[in-house]
Amino acid sequence: MKKHKKLFRYDNVGILFVLPAFLYMLIFVGYPIIRNIVLSFQDVNAGNLVRGTKNFIMFENYLELFKDDVFRTSLANTLKYTVLCLIFQFLIGFVLALFFSKRFSLAKPVRGILLVPWMIPVTVTALMFKLLFATDIGVINYILRSLHLISKNIEWLTTPGTAMFALVCANIWIGIPFNMILISTGLTTIPKELYESASIDGANKVQTFFSITLPLLRPTIESVLILGFIYTFKVYDLVYVMTSGGPVNSTHMLSTYSYKLSFEMFKYSKGSAVANVLLVILLIVGVFYIKATTAGEEE
Amino acid sequence: MKRKKWIALLATLTMMTGVITGCGSSGETQETAEPAAEEESSGEEAAVEETEETASAEGAEAVTIWYYWETEGHQVALDQVIQEYNASQDSYQVTAKYVPFADFKKQLSIGASADELPDIAILDSPDHASYVDMGIFEDITGKFDVSSYYEGTVNSCTVDGKLYGVPFGVNCLALYYNEDMLKDVGCSVPTTWDELKETAKALTTDNVTGLALCSVQNEEGTFNFVPWLWSTGATSYDINNENGIRALSYIQSLIDEGVMSKECINWTQGDVMNQFISGNVAMMENGPWQIPTMQSEAPDLNWKVTLIPKDSEYSSVLGGENYAVISGGNVDGALDFLTYATSEEKVKFMMEKFGYISADKTIAENQFEADSPYQPFVEELNYAMPRGPLAEWPGVSDAISLAFNQVITGTATPEDAAAKAQETIDGIVK
Amino acid sequence: MEEEKKVTGRNNILFSAAAVLILCVLLFPLYWALITSLKTEQEIFQNPPTFYPHILNLKSYAAQVETGDFNMFRSFGNSFLISLGATVIAVILAVPASYGIAKYRFKARKLMLLSFLVTQMLPVSVLLTPMFIMFKNMHVYNTWIAAVLADATIGIPFSVLILKNYFASIPKDLEEAAYLDGCNRFTAFIRILIPIAKPGVMVCAIFSFLYAWGDLAYGMTFILDQEKRPITAGIFNFMGQYGTKWSYLTAFAVVTIIPVALIFIFMQKYIVSGMTSGAVKG
Repeated sequence: MKKHKKLFRYDNVGILFVLPAFLYMLIFVGYPIIRNIVLSFQDVNAGNLVRGTKNFIMFENYLELFKDDVFRTSLANTLKYTVLCLIFQFLIGFVLALFFSKRFSLAKPVRGILLVPWMIPVTVTALMFKLLFATDIGVINYILRSLHLISKNIEWLTTPGTAMFALVCANIWIGIPFNMILISTGLTTIPKELYESASIDGANKVQTFFSITLPLLRPTIESVLILGFIYTFKVYDLVYVMTSGGPVNSTHMLSTYSYKLSFEMFKYSKGSAVANVLLVILLIVGVFYIKATTAGEEE
Repeated sequence: MKRKKWIALLATLTMMTGVITGCGSSGETQETAEPAAEEESSGEEAAVEETEETASAEGAEAVTIWYYWETEGHQVALDQVIQEYNASQDSYQVTAKYVPFADFKKQLSIGASADELPDIAILDSPDHASYVDMGIFEDITGKFDVSSYYEGTVNSCTVDGKLYGVPFGVNCLALYYNEDMLKDVGCSVPTTWDELKETAKALTTDNVTGLALCSVQNEEGTFNFVPWLWSTGATSYDINNENGIRALSYIQSLIDEGVMSKECINWTQGDVMNQFISGNVAMMENGPWQIPTMQSEAPDLNWKVTLIPKDSEYSSVLGGENYAVISGGNVDGALDFLTYATSEEKVKFMMEKFGYISADKTIAENQFEADSPYQPFVEELNYAMPRGPLAEWPGVSDAISLAFNQVITGTATPEDAAAKAQETIDGIVK
Repeated sequence: MEEEKKVTGRNNILFSAAAVLILCVLLFPLYWALITSLKTEQEIFQNPPTFYPHILNLKSYAAQVETGDFNMFRSFGNSFLISLGATVIAVILAVPASYGIAKYRFKARKLMLLSFLVTQMLPVSVLLTPMFIMFKNMHVYNTWIAAVLADATIGIPFSVLILKNYFASIPKDLEEAAYLDGCNRFTAFIRILIPIAKPGVMVCAIFSFLYAWGDLAYGMTFILDQEKRPITAGIFNFMGQYGTKWSYLTAFAVVTIIPVALIFIFMQKYIVSGMTSGAVKG
């Protein structure tokens, strides 16, 4: 009886709540992770995928990668893309969330409608932006020209730098509702009394924002940023459809390059190695996130 | 009533399974048909029919085909041949599954890893050698007479002298031109690179660019680049020389002089065709499969097809699909269906519905009227060569399309692009 | 209650006008999709572009209904069932998991939290082949179940990370009060905590649903029969070998949005109140 009690100590009961979800993810995603790691140390290509021996060549795939221009570009691109997208979609999303937390007549309906970009499959969104950014028939060039901001059409998707810009724009467009809604919901967890007492104490709006809203929203902000980071970092559909990594490999991301190696060039092991680099970077970010979020907790 | 039918059906199936697994010798079908009829003695003919149908389907072995044509006309034509085949015999039941082109390579790769493949794949010919290397295709040497087929198409499914597939249909690229626009500027049809550039210059206005060719950075782009490369005398594996650099410089000059839009690197062949029929482009490099769409979408447009202008020799690239039989699948069934589908009558039927040219030279040469828009493609086929065949073709192709994309976007000079491509290709071919 | 005071009078009009302006800017791409779907292909390629269809073309919508093996209504049904299934799995598993992580300090907690993070870091190129092999062995390849199971793997970790903040923000006194009332941990969780966390649960359900709704890779790879594929598979009818048919494609975008938008409108009362009602009243 006593033993039984100890096992069901207050905190250890918690694991029972978590276990079902944990096992589910372990089954469906654990195996792919392990398979991918093994694959990245082998030399699997079209010739020995089905038959023949798969030799372990250890770190050779990884060493080869660091000599590979496209890989280096993809790595730099992924980082640049993620940071740019994250900053803008978070800031815009945050401002919109604060704005729509005001109780004016149209606040709720408009905020609801702003979720619509999320209902479109990303592939379709990507194609839509491809049309918007087209050089001759694209409306973005047309608007810029009408406003006399440019005199000659910009070749958005056929010039390396601007192609990246177009991708970032498209991703921010998808990301804004995501950030806005999650921050909006986070705002609802802040007890109203805190604002009341702050205003009684004579704090102004800016002070309340920095002393109440921001600190209490911290867990939400952390989650939104980490999730945003992960989803942006492994972006695939959007880039694949809008630029396929072009022009001249200038917008390849780790995910698109990994896909290309695996499924277009049949270099399965090298593709896995690229995916693992992506995974390791995200893992490091993940560990920092866990450290940061659990630092203040009593153990 | 409906429920009764189902019970009868279920009972029949159960019994049939029992019988087949039970004794496994001859005569089961008859035996099973009887109790089924008895159960239904209350007299519902429809139900009896249904049972019989199931019985025949149950007896027939399944044969699955994967293909990637999204066009409804193609799907319907293939389906019709399959239905006719299924009705013509009792041993095999063929079904076709649509796997999108963009997913096709991936799905075959995954299927190969998971041992979940169809019995027949209808695939893009340049990829054929890679899958042979993967070991998923059956050696069918001697099973089909391909002696009258275009040599290049047979080569695309031959590895080490063994035949691993049968060409489905063949196509190549040629030059389409807008007849009215050409007439307006008083140009004749170009036959050389210099003439082509002059004509394109004359045709280019504020709203029209002279020439377009699909330049995306993948196999589709390579398909459109190699005719220019080969026309100089360069080969796919030997680019870093005077000829290869001349081809790259020529394409670059088309962009620099504004007669071809840089936007081409984002246009698939279909997009190029759409630009052409919208009147934004006066000439384009494209294939015969666009003709049915062009005729239905822009019936009033006056256009003609001619050989791709040459540098030192006429040249085009061979495209099209091949049938491949998957080893380890239902090989007998697959071969039986292919024998049926490659008969002259069926080939003619499908080619006509698809807007394809038969890979069988004897059929192709009499396939079209002299004034048919397809006829120039048949002529162009004489100059068309296949890509590869090489298991590592995807790597070579990537290097070629990259080099052309570099000169189009101005990120490398023709010399540098050629040198870099050569380095990559040497690393693959050696 | 300064933050919650209703905005009235002139400010209300100003704020509302600003909201409409934001809406117009952010939804411009959607407007463009809508009018593109109503133009003829020729007009789409016109330079300069037109801001409304000069010739109304409804052909692209007719093509949505049925193309070859693809039937729009059936695909809707498929997508709906797949998304619903994935949402149910995600919510049922994620809600208790996030509660456990938020409220209990068990040993493997950090590790588990990290693994929920890790599981969503894998790019698709890594997941497709092994998942395919697994589903084949489970005999669910080429069924909805495969897509449901795969799509739920996106919703679960997402929901866990979002919901744990919710549960963490609920004061302990509330739970303790429930124990005093005779609840045990599980009944307290179900009767007290879940209702309080409703806005969070709602948002997680919505996002899980939308993730599954927009999925293309899983639905295409794990389901081979066109009749069972989700609505997103229809996109391949309008892009590919014959080029991108912009009018068809944008019409496709419009029709994929409509049913989801309708669900949202019908459920808006619940969703909006779920998202914005003060979670913590304690």
